[in-house]
Amino acid sequence: MDAAKPPITPITPTTPITPVEPDAADAELASLIARAARAGVPGPLFSGILARSPVHARALLRAMLISHTEGSVDHRLKEMVRIRLARIAGDSYFAALRSSVALGQGLDEATIAAALGDFENDPRFTPAQRVALRYADRMYRSPSEVDDALYAELKKHYSEAQIMELGAFMALHYGMQAFMRTMSQ
Amino acid sequence: MALRYALWMAVKPDAVDAAFYDELRRHYSDEEIVELGAFIGFNIGYHTFFGSLKFYPLFSPDGRLVSQEESSDIYGSAPVSLA
Repeated sequence: MDAAKPPITPITPTTPITPVEPDAADAELASLIARAARAGVPGPLFSGILARSPVHARALLRAMLISHTEGSVDHRLKEMVRIRLARIAGDSYFAALRSSVALGQGLDEATIAAALGDFENDPRFTPAQRVALRYADRMYRSPSEVDDALYAELKKHYSEAQIMELGAFMALHYGMQAFMRTMSQ
Repeated sequence: MALRYALWMAVKPDAVDAAFYDELRRHYSDEEIVELGAFIGFNIGYHTFFGSLKFYPLFSPDGRLVSQEESSDIYGSAPVSLA
């Protein structure tokens, strides 16, 4: 296991929207913000910004946490997918975050770096992992290439429920990354 | 401004900068901006995903629940998820 720490990009919170302080949020929202901070993703800054709209923050934070940390698709794989998507979205905030759950399960920076590079030709990844990363890459770089052949390949390794879990996870997190990118400029 | 926010977040995100947010603030509160921004982001993510599923309408023009095969015969080669 690589003991190197993740490359943390200092986040200077000069975002256009000032985040809500946790102690200014209602109990339910404060609990979700704390949970997001402990999980590492979506992290306190994004959670605090989202908390400016409490109704949406409660739903979205809960959905982000569930889609990321629950389900039957391997969480470490979803974490690699998430970081790759953040790079595609051009969002430095989410790209720098690391899931504490994934790190605890043994995901290291060397593997993350490999998932961000030429994963198709990296022997450390299984065919199942490669097709999941390919799914993410094509979905938000070249969606016309998410075709019947790719779904057929996905079905060799994942159930339809898992494909929907992956797809919906990608959609939600990429969408929030696209939003957060504009906050970081 | 809201429509521009939606379009630019999707296709020209570098243009959604601090000055853009200052202009948005002339029309919307911070709560409304976050609501809009999160909603737009959500739709950017999900419409791309849904488009890849290529699904057809669940109902015929006369209101019958139809299979995807029959729906594609009715509605042609353009899946509704790509509309």
